[in-house]
Order: sequence, then C-alpha cells, then structure tokens
Amino acid sequence: MEITMVLAALKVVGYGLGAIGPGIGIGIACYGCCVGTARQPELQGRLFTNFIIGAALAEALALIGFVLAFIL
Amino acid sequence: MDAISTLSADVPHLQESFNSAIVIGNAEFGLTQYILWMIICWIITLAVVILVGRKLTLIPTNKFINTVEYGYQFVRNDMGEGVIGHGFKKHVPFLATLFFFILISNFVGLIPGCKTPTGTISVTWALATISFIYFNFWGIKAHGGWGYIKSIAPSGLPAPMVPIIWFFELISLILRWLTLAVRLYGNMFAGHMVLGIFALASSVFLTVGIQSVDVLTGALTIPWFLLLIVMYALETLVAFLQAYVFTILSSVYVQLATSSH
Repeated sequence: MEITMVLAALKVVGYGLGAIGPGIGIGIACYGCCVGTARQPELQGRLFTNFIIGAALAEALALIGFVLAFIL
Repeated sequence: MDAISTLSADVPHLQESFNSAIVIGNAEFGLTQYILWMIICWIITLAVVILVGRKLTLIPTNKFINTVEYGYQFVRNDMGEGVIGHGFKKHVPFLATLFFFILISNFVGLIPGCKTPTGTISVTWALATISFIYFNFWGIKAHGGWGYIKSIAPSGLPAPMVPIIWFFELISLILRWLTLAVRLYGNMFAGHMVLGIFALASSVFLTVGIQSVDVLTGALTIPWFLLLIVMYALETLVAFLQAYVFTILSSVYVQLATSSH
C-alpha cells in the first residue's frame, strides 16, 4: 500500500515536471501573439492561427506526460 | 473530513467508468460504448451533410443550413486557402469531413449521459492514421516516391549534414502521427475526468452534508458546483478548439508534404 501510494505520487510529480516546459512555451507563444497583434492589428487572424498551431505543438508534450501518468 | 474520504473512495469508480466496456454483443464481436457513440456521431454527421446538401440555395434562408455553410466556409477559407494556399480545393472535402466529425463527436460527449468517441485512444489513433496516410499520399503524388523521401530534409543544407537532419526530420514526421492522436485523446479524456471529479465532489458533499446534518459541508457544494459550470464552459471551448487544431494541423502537414522546399 505504501509503495503504490509513493508510485502514484511520483507519477503526479513527474507530470508536473513535464508540464513546466510546455507552460513556458505556450506563455512565450501567447506573448508573441499579443505583442504582434498590438503592433499590427490587421494581421491578427494569421497571428492567431500560428499561435494556435504553436500552442498545440507545445501542449502535446504535456499531454503525453499526462497520458503516461495514467497508463504506466 | 468525512466527505473527502468518501470522495477519494469514489474516484476509482469514476476512473473505471472511462474504461472501454462492451455494451452490445459479446467479447468476440461487440461494440464498446465509445464505438457505439462513434457510429452515432458518424450517422449524425452524415445526416447533417445530406440534409444540408440537398437543400442548398444560392441565398440561404434557413438558419440551420446557413450555420453549416458557415462552418464549411470556415474550413475552406481559414484552413484550406489560408494554410495550403495554391491547389487547396482538392483537400477541402477531407478537411471538412475531419472537422465536422471531430466537432460533432466532441460536442456529443458534453451532453450528460453520452460518451465522447474521441475520449478513447483507439478512435483518435484511427483518425490520426487516416490523416497520416492522407498527407503522405499527397506528398508522394506531388514529388514522386524518391523525391518525397529526399524532400523530408530541407534543401540547401551542406552535404555532410543531410543524413543527420533527414533522420531527425523523419522522427518528427512520425511523431506527428503520435501527437495528433494523443493530443485529441488527452484533451478529451482529461477534460471529462475533471468534469467527472467536480460533479462527483458536488454530489458527495451534498449527500454527506445532509446525512450528517453538517451545514458547512453542505454549503461547500455551491463552490464545487460553480467550479463545475466554469469547467463545463471551458470544455465547450476546448471541444471546438481541438477539432480546429486537429484539422488545421492536418492541413499544415499536407502543405508541408506537398510544397517544394
């Protein structure tokens, strides 16, 4: 019982560590999108599309960690 | 806190309800609940498309038809013309099918009592495989077999670097397959798990509060329920966003495969 609890806690800690990178990445992407939109509001549509693509690519890493935490 | 221990005892049951279970037929030939809902979503998508396709008019007067046309136009202009560019027209039917099927699947899952077909890895894996085969097929058609293999590495590299970069690009090509499947599954599964836990928490806190005549525990139901509503709104956004992301990434991959570097 003790060991399973420790293992479950370690999975959550591992997922938390794995979510740091994508969190920073999406933050930078959102910053870039906001700054770009403020400078050139007419490009908002294309910037937003690129932001969504970049955020989706970064987010995939966190989600792989999330799924691994469940299936391992 | 008695309510917390009741909640933690109930969470494994919630987790179990997400596992695939056979609802029709037997273990040799049967449908799990996800596949049953996938067929239902498929029928809904087909019905919507046939119904709207038969009543198309130049000036749309029906609100429902107008909405579906708007969705199609969104796929055509935003994802087709905006991302693929030249020669996007032959890809629009595929992208629109993907978009509408995933959108309807995600939204069906938000109705209480229904299961989302995209909440299981098998369905998203199949969708990602279709997308993977599709963009590789068009890449091979555009460049020819050997030309496509060469075009995986970007052109203009110094000769000794080409095999190394080619190898990394090949890994990233195969990872697209994995990430397309896992992204959709992870988002849907995680969202429904969070919704389930908040719903379970509000019901457990209410029952325990009434049973043990504890006003504080009973009153905690209200924040849980408010949180549930907020998460529900977020999930509605995510349901749309994931359909959008899946389709737009498919079109980006088609563009990458067919364009000459």
